[in-house]
Amino acid sequence: MELKKSRFDPPRSYIRGTPIILWLLFLVVVPLIFTFAMSFYSSEGLVLEKTFTLKNYKVFFTDPVYARILFKSLRLALGTSMLSIAMAYPLAYMVSFKMVRGRNLLFMMCIIPLWVSYLVRIIAWRSILGNRGVINSLLLAIGIIQEPLRIFLYNRFAIAVTLTYICIPFVFIPVYTSLEKIPRNILNAASDLGASEFTSFINVVLPLSLPGLITGFIFSFIIALGDYIIPLQLGGTQGIMFGNLIWSQFGVAFNWPFGAALGFVLFIISVTILGLTAKFGSTEGGFLSE
Amino acid sequence: MDLDFHPQHIVELYMDDATAIELQNLTKRFDEVVAVDNFNVKIQKGEFFSLLGPSGCGKTTTLRVVAGLEGPSKGTVLLEGKDVTGVPAYKRNVNTVFQDYALFPHMNVKKNVYFPLKMRKISLNQAEPKIERVLRLVNMEGFGKRLPQQLSGGQRQRIALARSLVNEPAALLLDEPLGALDFKLRVAMQKVLKDIQRNVGITFVYVTHDQTEAMTMSDRIAVMKDGHVHQIASPDEIYNDPETAFVASFIGDMNFLHGIIKSGSEKSAKADISGNIINTRKLKQGIKTGEEALLCIRVERVEVNPLEGKLDNVVACTLGRIVFRGTDYEATCRFDDSEIRAVVSATAWDHGLKEGDTIKIGFKTDDVIVFPKSEEKDVIKYSVEAV
Repeated sequence: MELKKSRFDPPRSYIRGTPIILWLLFLVVVPLIFTFAMSFYSSEGLVLEKTFTLKNYKVFFTDPVYARILFKSLRLALGTSMLSIAMAYPLAYMVSFKMVRGRNLLFMMCIIPLWVSYLVRIIAWRSILGNRGVINSLLLAIGIIQEPLRIFLYNRFAIAVTLTYICIPFVFIPVYTSLEKIPRNILNAASDLGASEFTSFINVVLPLSLPGLITGFIFSFIIALGDYIIPLQLGGTQGIMFGNLIWSQFGVAFNWPFGAALGFVLFIISVTILGLTAKFGSTEGGFLSE
Repeated sequence: MDLDFHPQHIVELYMDDATAIELQNLTKRFDEVVAVDNFNVKIQKGEFFSLLGPSGCGKTTTLRVVAGLEGPSKGTVLLEGKDVTGVPAYKRNVNTVFQDYALFPHMNVKKNVYFPLKMRKISLNQAEPKIERVLRLVNMEGFGKRLPQQLSGGQRQRIALARSLVNEPAALLLDEPLGALDFKLRVAMQKVLKDIQRNVGITFVYVTHDQTEAMTMSDRIAVMKDGHVHQIASPDEIYNDPETAFVASFIGDMNFLHGIIKSGSEKSAKADISGNIINTRKLKQGIKTGEEALLCIRVERVEVNPLEGKLDNVVACTLGRIVFRGTDYEATCRFDDSEIRAVVSATAWDHGLKEGDTIKIGFKTDDVIVFPKSEEKDVIKYSVEAV
């Protein structure tokens, strides 16, 4: 029995952990430090001025357009996550609790979209929402409209719909996993003790699946917050999100220091949200790690 | 124990013998498999009723049908005289204690016990005294803040029991509640359960595969096999007057011998076992003279070297293996091609006996029960001891 718990692990465990430490160091920590350092430089034309300045952050905090776009992006990301949860949770619930046969098949069908290229799926949505897209053709064929509607594509609606579609599997998988982990006899017990399916869901299933729900929320929120391709492809004039802003600083304006500063702001926001929700999730979900 | 938990139930126990649960022609099929076949029983209020049988005999299915977790394929379930066959589990006034406790892992003990009261829209303030009383009943006061995974198996079991009792159900259904506990704890919990049942006077329907558990706790036992009910009777009757060869073999330790029926009368019968004429109990219906039959003798009813003239049946045999089992000796006695095991208490055992000795064994007429040869397939060869 170990009586005294050492403050540091024995050296051997460091050796075993070296690959993962190196991996994290070079793929996560070093790039972050570079970004952070870069955000304090400035750019004169195409020349990088390597002297310390707070100019980039000053611009971000003084020009209201950046904060406005940031809030727009946060709102979109929040809405998208909520929509994804609203779509994916009932789906996961149905597959996990209601299906007797073919559950694995259904599970596969829910995650198959992940195997298709991200860009292909975005283009697919363009042809669904577009002027001669599936929706318009259908409405024209039925005779509800005489002219193709332009309300589906190149606006925030299109971004939200497509982002939601992209995020659904990322919510579905953790929620489904946490639902599968709930022992079924607990639901028998709830029913036996007087809970209808709905009360049993509210009192037992929902709290026990909360860790999965939070993980799903984090996934979809981060994906939606950082995405710039969907707004670019389907957003039209409303398609400037914070991700596009960062991308344009690097790819168009060649103002890497400012892009780095914006990127770092987004990083801090993401980490804060992640930290808050993960803490919430672990205290509520700690019981599952028995 | 808290003696004044439900005084009204204790009164009912003695004054009112109304039926708590009645099953009429209950049949449950899963596809082609008949899990429960035509079960009929009336369980009295306040009765400790056990469903006993080997795994797969349909005892748990029966319980789940009573709980409302499964619908019957045929037949009726009545609770306190009311037909509840189509009523869902959450509207039935019976609660189940599950084998693996099924406590809600995200709720502490108090919230677990409060759950059934919450479902009845009783506020936590109102429920508080009830929760405390029932926790005291199961000896778990002071554990309210603990989470289920911080409790031992026996403690979880008691919380599950408290949670099921707090609503004062018409009957408590227990599905092998002690199955996951080790031997000593199980014996202790048997006593706890029996005490609680006596104190609160609620009807218990208890599912178990452990004959000792059923025998020591029950008022009546239904012995089941492959969906069929073989016998419903008191432990005493089940043990001393088994209705079928299966019941005879499943409960206790029994010798099974083959013999030819020689004659039968109102009071007794005679059978031939390898040339020895044995006096037996009177024949059950369907057994005819001249046929081969199954003769059963309890191991502890066989006497080694009995006093001359004391017993009606005396057979000379050779002493085989002797096994010392602590409280008693088990001796295998052979004559011709038959074998009888005798269990003699250690204090009465003659220590001069050794393997190969020629001895006499004896047993009473009334201790030899005869079953038709056709029931031999149901016999469990080695008695199922507490595993």
